[in-house]
Amino acid sequence: MFKDLVTTYAAKKGMPNQRFTFVPHPITGTPAETCRKFLQGNDPITGKPVLQEIVAALTTPLSADDKKKGFIEMPTPRLVDPDATENLERLFLEKEWTDGLPIILPTEARVAEMLKGTSHKADEPVGRMQASSPHPAWTYTVEKVAANAVMAGAKPEHFPVILALAATGVPSIFTSTTSFARMVVVNGPVRNEIKMNAKIGALGPFNQANSVIGRAWTLMSINLDGGAHPGEVYMGSQGNNLMYNNMCMPENEEELPEGWKPLHVQKGYKPQDSVVSTFGGWGIIHADQSFGKDFYSQIPTWLTWISPFSPAMLLLDPTIIKQLNDREGFKSKEQLIDWVHKNTQITVGEWLDDFYSVQNFILPGGRQGREPVASWMKMPKDAKIPRIASPNNISILSVGGGTNLFWQAADFGYISSASVDKWR
Amino acid sequence: MRDGIKFDKVPPIKGRDALKKKICGSLIAFFLTAALFGLSQAKAPAKAPKITVLNPMGQPPPIALVPMAPRLDTLDGKTIYIVDVGFTDTHQLFTEMKTLLSEKYPKTTFIVKTKSGTYFDDDPKLWAEIKEKGAGMIMGVGH
Repeated sequence: MFKDLVTTYAAKKGMPNQRFTFVPHPITGTPAETCRKFLQGNDPITGKPVLQEIVAALTTPLSADDKKKGFIEMPTPRLVDPDATENLERLFLEKEWTDGLPIILPTEARVAEMLKGTSHKADEPVGRMQASSPHPAWTYTVEKVAANAVMAGAKPEHFPVILALAATGVPSIFTSTTSFARMVVVNGPVRNEIKMNAKIGALGPFNQANSVIGRAWTLMSINLDGGAHPGEVYMGSQGNNLMYNNMCMPENEEELPEGWKPLHVQKGYKPQDSVVSTFGGWGIIHADQSFGKDFYSQIPTWLTWISPFSPAMLLLDPTIIKQLNDREGFKSKEQLIDWVHKNTQITVGEWLDDFYSVQNFILPGGRQGREPVASWMKMPKDAKIPRIASPNNISILSVGGGTNLFWQAADFGYISSASVDKWR
Repeated sequence: MRDGIKFDKVPPIKGRDALKKKICGSLIAFFLTAALFGLSQAKAPAKAPKITVLNPMGQPPPIALVPMAPRLDTLDGKTIYIVDVGFTDTHQLFTEMKTLLSEKYPKTTFIVKTKSGTYFDDDPKLWAEIKEKGAGMIMGVGH
């Protein structure tokens, strides 16, 4: 299953003839005896003996192509060959330029109309995006972003937000064998200017701006960094349904109590700035109890589903925020974040033994002396450490219409923000 | 009902059969026309006006070709590194690989090394060691 990934990846890195040998998958947790049989057996792709292939890869002389130097240009044409609408719609599907849903074809006229939503020139570079860190970064112009915005069904008034999102360079589709999802949050005056919905049903399919901005990010990630092809670039084993819209929402700033800063102000922007922010994670879970007397045990209990490798996000209805502020005495997001960080703990034993991601991504850094991991690794197994490694990995957002005392939690972490005003 | 009188059967109407034929003929003609119109509609995509749309793809960077490392004429007397990039619980594959290759090529030295850090991290120290002491490298990637 990894053949297409490794061969195309090697080609992108300049070695199209790199030599590979495959063994059956997976290896993780496979006993040594079985591994030995894999090595004594045949490559499941070529059918040739594994060890023989490995030795041949080391000793077979190079061909002239193997020794080649130079550059291969990969120009992307500005236009698609003219054709009937129906044929072009089919072509876009066949080329995997869509999310599988119907799109608005980006005709020159529609793209020109979209470009009226910004003062920036069509050929101005916007940014660089890559499917994940090992993949090459692709570049794109304002016009390319406009084409994807048209496809998503966006209107010119949505375009500055979409351009700002593109300027972050953060892909909505982040390729990994785990199935990541993304989230986009809009803050500042632009939320109301383009009539986004931060209240009842904000995270549902009820508002054009919420819908098309979220979808545009997915289409940009499919097309602007070439990260869409499953099995060749995208490797999320199960995929993630949140990828269709990326939970696009504005924050409900108007109902934040005094002292509770909206996200963009937390990140250093002014309240009157319009800003788009990105988050990454995997999933979302609903808490079906309202905050009551057991609040102090409820949050730590609910957050036990979050891996210690992951960040945490609380999506709080304004009604709950009001209770936290008025009744429980949390006078800012930061105060609540600090409390959550200190009161959601895990034992060192659980942390060391139970989580694949901790073993893969956190412990290697600790072995190199990175703190606090290095110190935690030396602690007794029954000692307690924070489940969420740092307060910086905890986010709190205000969203909802106050119909009940409900809240949701996500294992999402903040990635970056960009000014929308810059792209007006 | 007609003028308050109920008829058990529809009374014969002069010219009714002729009218019926005319209606049938008209219907046939209508359906034929509709069918022909439908056929012409079915062919429409081939004759439909062509439109021009933008290619939505971004611009990939040029690929810089990298010449592959020279190959060995023999493994005899050489040192070959087997590098584990560090996916959890996969190291056993590489120790088994060393055992099997050492049995098959007793004149070759096989050394298993685990790259430091996560599999995203570079390990220049290890690469320098392999360049200095090794004749070749087998890298194991995956989980």
